[in-house]
Amino acid sequence: MVPGPDKINWEAKVNGRMVSFPIDSNAILLDILRDKGGSLGTKRGCDMGTCGCCSVMIDGTPKLSCLVLAQEADGCEITTVEGLSSGHHLHPIQQTFAECGGSQCGFCTPGFLVVSAALLEDNPSPTKDEIKTAIEGNLCRCTGYQQIVEAISKASEILVSGDGIEDSTSPKSDPHPGFAGE
Amino acid sequence: MSMEDGSSEVGEDSDSPTSDEMVGYRQQPGKLPFSKPGSGGKNRFSEPTDQSMIPESRGGGLAQPWGSHKHDNLVSGQIIGKPTSLVDSNWKVTGQAKYGDDIRLPGEIIGRILRSPHHYARVLSIDISKAMELPGVLGIATGDDAPGKFGVLPVTKDEHAMAVEKVRHVGDLVACVAAVDEVTAREACRLIEVEYEILDSVHDIKMGLENSENPIHDRGKYHIGESNVQKRVFQQFGNVSEMKENSIASHEADWTFTGVNHGFTEPHAVVAHWDPSGRLTLYTPQQVPHYLHRALADVLEVPMHQINVYRTFVGGGFGGKSDPFPHEMCAAILARKTGRPVRINFDREEVFWVNRGRHPSKISMSLHADSEGRLCGIETDALIDGGAFASFGHVTTYYNGVLHTAPYEIGAFHYTGARVWTNKPASGAMRGHGAVNSRCAVETGIDDLSERLGVDPIDFRLANLLPPHSATITGFRVTSIGMRECLERVKKESGWEEKFRKMPLGKGIGIGCGFFISGSGLPIHWDPNKFPHATVHLKIDMDGGVTIHTGAADIGQGSDTVVAQSVAEVLGLPLDMIRVRSRESDTSPVDLGSYSSRVTFMNANAAISAAMEIRDDLLNATSEITGAPTESLVIGDRRIFKKMDPAVGVSYLEALHKAQEDRGALVSSGSYRTPPMGRAHKGAAAGLAPAYSFSAYVAEVDVDVETGQTKVERVWAAHDCGKALNPLAVEGQIIGSCHMGMGQVLSEEMKYGRTGHLINPDLLDYKIPTVHEMPHVTPIIVESNDPEGPFGAKEAGEGPLLPILPAVVNAVYDAIGVRVDELPITPDRLYKEIEKRCRKEKIGDPLDLSPPTLLFSPLQETLVERAYLHSERDIERRHDDDPPPYHNGALFGLDPEVPGDEQDSRWAAVVIPPEGYLDNPGLAGSAWKHAERRHRED
Repeated sequence: MVPGPDKINWEAKVNGRMVSFPIDSNAILLDILRDKGGSLGTKRGCDMGTCGCCSVMIDGTPKLSCLVLAQEADGCEITTVEGLSSGHHLHPIQQTFAECGGSQCGFCTPGFLVVSAALLEDNPSPTKDEIKTAIEGNLCRCTGYQQIVEAISKASEILVSGDGIEDSTSPKSDPHPGFAGE
Repeated sequence: MSMEDGSSEVGEDSDSPTSDEMVGYRQQPGKLPFSKPGSGGKNRFSEPTDQSMIPESRGGGLAQPWGSHKHDNLVSGQIIGKPTSLVDSNWKVTGQAKYGDDIRLPGEIIGRILRSPHHYARVLSIDISKAMELPGVLGIATGDDAPGKFGVLPVTKDEHAMAVEKVRHVGDLVACVAAVDEVTAREACRLIEVEYEILDSVHDIKMGLENSENPIHDRGKYHIGESNVQKRVFQQFGNVSEMKENSIASHEADWTFTGVNHGFTEPHAVVAHWDPSGRLTLYTPQQVPHYLHRALADVLEVPMHQINVYRTFVGGGFGGKSDPFPHEMCAAILARKTGRPVRINFDREEVFWVNRGRHPSKISMSLHADSEGRLCGIETDALIDGGAFASFGHVTTYYNGVLHTAPYEIGAFHYTGARVWTNKPASGAMRGHGAVNSRCAVETGIDDLSERLGVDPIDFRLANLLPPHSATITGFRVTSIGMRECLERVKKESGWEEKFRKMPLGKGIGIGCGFFISGSGLPIHWDPNKFPHATVHLKIDMDGGVTIHTGAADIGQGSDTVVAQSVAEVLGLPLDMIRVRSRESDTSPVDLGSYSSRVTFMNANAAISAAMEIRDDLLNATSEITGAPTESLVIGDRRIFKKMDPAVGVSYLEALHKAQEDRGALVSSGSYRTPPMGRAHKGAAAGLAPAYSFSAYVAEVDVDVETGQTKVERVWAAHDCGKALNPLAVEGQIIGSCHMGMGQVLSEEMKYGRTGHLINPDLLDYKIPTVHEMPHVTPIIVESNDPEGPFGAKEAGEGPLLPILPAVVNAVYDAIGVRVDELPITPDRLYKEIEKRCRKEKIGDPLDLSPPTLLFSPLQETLVERAYLHSERDIERRHDDDPPPYHNGALFGLDPEVPGDEQDSRWAAVVIPPEGYLDNPGLAGSAWKHAERRHRED
């Protein structure tokens, strides 16, 4: 084994759950979240802050977790893509990304979802330009962004109107329609 | 209208359809209500069928301007043509989709690759002893562990898992290490001692044409001279000898295209695991799992049946994940050596070393037009830089030529192409494979040619299109063509006539078109067999859910969704009753993978034929229950009933259970193979496809003449995809293609420094457009209803990329009167051109430049008239079920029913340079000065 750096104890609230374990003092937050924090949804795209795939919220502010030392987030509240939905109820931004085609291959999606959820929390009715500014640090190679911007606008409408999001486990199609329970 | 109260209400509601149409569910007379086991859903009543989704031929309201289709009677009005979320999108938006690097197996260890620091060197020795002593290192492998060659094309296998004898580019694989963690693996790589003998490397694409002391590869008796020419093509069709004499205007340009990378967001990653029974499972984000499967068997010397290739979610492919890769072999070798699961994941720099992006190219393009405004000749010479390996290059070399023989009717086609090896990361297949650069050169050439002729470039195109059901000059069979509609729609929607050549300096508008294959007619592994290109298996048990087994690789384009849609449509089921299993080679039938835009066309066709078998079973069972003849039955939403009396029928589950009597689960298999097509000359199969897509884009740009900065403001993008099975996905493909093409035309390039090093292998300096650079794209879907496509569909994944490049280049010309011949159009490049024009016209301030104007010549009227006549001709042909043959050449006075070369000796096809050609060859053409070793005496 290669001699390692000091171990420190790390503690944070990841998606509402307190976690605590020893980490290397030079560990990067992205690695900690993926390898120990149970968030494989947070993606590694470039390791140098150029693609936005690893975005997470630290105390409500979107940050690139590949550029953050885990130590810096010690004691913080971290929200990853896994923390956006509530049970089987998707966050509106998750639902509209699916509906509007905001996600194709889906690899950049967690990063986009996190920064747009943070935007909507701050500003529930953003303009097109505000949306663009919020996602300017995220690269998407599939969609050309247009459907992503639409998805964020639509999510903002849902948030403002307060319409509920369906539980993804709600009843599905009956293969024998018309007979049940008569 | 509420369906909750039951069917008795239906019919009293004034909004409801008339009584002879299928509405809701009506209990079959004489039957008691009962429930079937496992039915528990919320949608108790089937939905009123959306008449607009049912084709006219089946009594519905679906307008069919392009005539009927063979799949019309399979349309149940469920889902085809409706914007549909991808079936796996909830996995992606919740972060639960598992990509390559998300596969974590118990006991896994980490693999790292030692890469070459040299461009080209002989590996004299590798000493791994120090590295092996490092605690935590569990295994090291080198080229000796897997000497077998592989490559995606069977004719050009030239890759090894790791260096055998030589390394061929910086970043080429030398050895690999497995260790307990990444830090240890990296340190171990550092401790491996490699002795190299540095060889003279080749970086300049032109140098690749010359003889070399140490050609990068040795092709044995097939080696071309002693050069680095990997593949060369010579093709001549039509009246080449007279095209110049016949022309009244010609365009000539020498293009330089830099290399571009796919830039998918997910770096490569792979996990290999040899399970306790001794079988290998390889988890990898692959577009083409089957070819990897074959290559693994060859390299590891393990029979294919002992390998399970598991395709994880793929974080973007675009062609960049379609080769079998050496790192995939490395993971398998290390896992076998160490007895532990091995995971290798790349950093972004390594993605650029693997590359397989678009070929850097030098393309000379000449176009000739005659006095009637016909395109009487295209001459192309394309020299493409293959980098260190063959990859898909054999095909790319053909595609650079043959994929611009349509959509225009041409009088002559002369193509010379060559691909050379250089000591760079290998080029390969990238979205729009081989067609993008030469298409850009053709379309900008047509813009220039139209200007020289004094005609509108859209009218020029409209007057020179091939009709539906025709053959190109190279003998490709073209079925449906929506090119004319594409052009007309973008012309109208963009306000072309008010804008073209009429806007002030700095504002411009331009047009570009595209033509692309919808699946390759020839599968890459053309074993002497008749294997289908795609196979789909269905399994339905008593629960009523349908399991689809397919090997089609969903790379985000929505192939799982389109296959599920096709089955749902035929069986009249909602999408939530369909589940797709497409990941593992153990369970999925062989599929050739996601390349050449083949998946929708071939896989959906296979899915339809599998579903038709089940459909027959269900109809027969219903007929047995109800006594109604099978032919009188149709399928609607979860119900099978008499078309003329919807009250007589049964639920889907009832029919299914009847059909299952004495045989259990229903299973079926459907497959697709392309029909026999094409001609017999050498290379005739390259570019053959069962259908072709067409597109036309108009781009509007804003150019700052003082800085050379170009901003694309609007794009109107019309694409003929035959039939949009999922319009949401088609629009996504169109907009996404615009994004990728805009990157290539404005900002993306793989830059090589003076020493030949790639200097921007990262996403900071490799400039992919962000949201701010994206214009507003108006996607326009044109549906030409392809006779052989599934429900009429053709591809929409690659073709839409082609037109954006020339549309932008032409718009830049319209804005400032400068024609570029080098991409990307970065501000520095463009400003140099602006300065050049200023100097030439003796203008001090670029703001005083005048934008180009257009004065119509008399030819304009001729073209408009001909375009009108042709549009009448095309409508007639597309409605004709059996139109007479139409071969390219009819526009030039030949008999349309006979191929040109069979009626006029001047039109003979030539595929080997004739005598005298080498006196004055094109750049790529000069590759023919070498003789293959087998044809030399020494």
